[in-house]
Amino acid sequence: MKESERFIHGVVASVGAAIGRALRSFDPLFVSFNSKVRPDQVRKEVERFRGSVEKSREQLKRMQSQLKRKTGPESSFLIDAHLLVLQDRLFADRIIDKIENEQINSEWAIQQVSEDLFQAYDRLNDDYLRERRGDLEDIVRRLLHNLQSNPLPSFKKLPYDAILIGKVVPPSMLFELRSQRVVGLATETGSPLSHTAIMARSLEIPAVVGAPELADVSSGDMLIVDGDRALVIVFPSDETLNEYKNRKHDEKISKKKGGAVTSAPSVTEDRVRISLGANINFSEEVRAAITIGCESIGLYRTEFDFFREGKQPDEESLVADYSIVLKSAKGAPVTFRTIDVGIDQKSWDGVNMNLGVRGLRFCLENTDVFKKQLRSLYRASVFGPMRILLPFVSTVDDLDAAHQILAEVRQELDLKHLAYDPGVPIGVMIETPAAAQTCDLMASRVDFFCLGTNDLIQYYLVVDRSDRSVVHLYNPFHPAILRCLHQVYTLLHPTGKPVTVCGEMAADPPSAAVLLGLGFTSLSVNLAAYPRIKRMIRSVSYAQLRDLAGQILKMQKPREVEEKVRATVYRP
Amino acid sequence: MKEREIVIGHRLGLHARAAARLVQLSTNFQSNIVLFRADSNNPVEADARSILSVLLLSAAFGSKVSVRADGVDEDQALESICEYLTG
Repeated sequence: MKESERFIHGVVASVGAAIGRALRSFDPLFVSFNSKVRPDQVRKEVERFRGSVEKSREQLKRMQSQLKRKTGPESSFLIDAHLLVLQDRLFADRIIDKIENEQINSEWAIQQVSEDLFQAYDRLNDDYLRERRGDLEDIVRRLLHNLQSNPLPSFKKLPYDAILIGKVVPPSMLFELRSQRVVGLATETGSPLSHTAIMARSLEIPAVVGAPELADVSSGDMLIVDGDRALVIVFPSDETLNEYKNRKHDEKISKKKGGAVTSAPSVTEDRVRISLGANINFSEEVRAAITIGCESIGLYRTEFDFFREGKQPDEESLVADYSIVLKSAKGAPVTFRTIDVGIDQKSWDGVNMNLGVRGLRFCLENTDVFKKQLRSLYRASVFGPMRILLPFVSTVDDLDAAHQILAEVRQELDLKHLAYDPGVPIGVMIETPAAAQTCDLMASRVDFFCLGTNDLIQYYLVVDRSDRSVVHLYNPFHPAILRCLHQVYTLLHPTGKPVTVCGEMAADPPSAAVLLGLGFTSLSVNLAAYPRIKRMIRSVSYAQLRDLAGQILKMQKPREVEEKVRATVYRP
Repeated sequence: MKEREIVIGHRLGLHARAAARLVQLSTNFQSNIVLFRADSNNPVEADARSILSVLLLSAAFGSKVSVRADGVDEDQALESICEYLTG
């Protein structure tokens, strides 16, 4: 009997989709034989441990140089941390002490010392740091393997494409197995901040983490990992499988046509330049963005730093944050969006925040907070080119009120003789139907626009993206959306004000192609989607997409539109 | 012996990358270098040459940390470690 299809929800760690059979990563951690060592054998046992350390160091060094060659310096620092643990006094020396003083074998000593350290990690009050426990586990696993006379298990003969699953999957395991038909990753625990997630993104392996229901999945079960929808599908139906197989086929074609992308310019086949920026949530990502060749930070979401640890930072630390961002951007312009509260969340009393006090509405009601942020941004503006973007604007009045506050802030800075760039461009997000309908009326009051498609689609189609019962109705190919985008382009084009599209619509190749077709030549996408969008851009003809837009604007059903677009973008 | 109190200037605190760099930096000096949390009731000490103890210090952005260097090159060690930590 065939098992029925089941959906498991998790958190996206790396985009894209993969089809394969589950391969549970067994944890050799602590399944070791503990034994006492005869006094005259102690020295030999210490040597055995040192040998395993040496072997591990060699493996890691080799891995690091491969990683550097394959993905650049961005992820090879992960291995630095492992190498440093190997030579750590707290670790290696204590293990040797234990072997010598308690006369026990290396495995037992490793187990005792690392158990203490694991407990110390688990007591930490910091999510990011607790994730680092994984690095230590990884090293311990390696040492234990290298102590055994039999080598690391070989997966070379895997007869099928595999999706690694497990409570955790160590980053080094993912790296070592990447060429051996491991096509995807899904873990029960972990977060997008974990090193395994960073590794998956570097290797462009689709990954979903934080999906506890995976515990019921066994090795050999058929799986689909969908890193675009934060979903793992167990025992997919034939229909689902076919849908995904077509998607994979399409992506393969695009990969072949686009080639290697990091240093390649973002131009279409017919030599039209498309500006491609990155959407960023944390300053650490800025460096990564610059490394993979981003020419601008098209959207820096500031609310994450602002409400970090539940409290508001003071002005000085905000100035420090923003200047670090600008310095790491090395001259690439950064668009800072002022705090937007209430994104994808319900407020405490169950009111749908999406229709309430969001974005600029919040800032205009809390002018102290807003002014603090604007002062900090202006003060940081001397460190590099920046733009200020106001979210969730629905009337020209809001915009006038914001300009009033901006003028007051500049006046305060002048009075205090603080340096800033008075010419910082000010822009607005078009993400409400009201803004989409009236963007031409706002044009004289701003320097640029950003199109936030996530909210725009949600408000146009009346679909709450966080509500699972309606989420399938959320569709960027809906004729209402195409008409709306076409209208925005038609209204704004004569004004000459630049427009960047920064919603998720720009991050999925077919819908991004629609945006190009509608005339938008500036996109900004999350880092994980950056390579595939650049690849799409390099593989399409702008003229052909412009033609295509004319055709799809006449179509009636989202499905027809999507099929037509896919056929054009992924033509073999 | 020299000691100085500083505020962590790295946005993510002393996390993997910053901690690794600190350990590499500390091994350039002969002095013993110790960090401890000045703002904690439970002042944990960390050896700047041990990545595990630096990580376990759990020093976030903005936390106060005292740096103590003891040895022949304590002045340069203190100077360069503090400069690095303040970002």
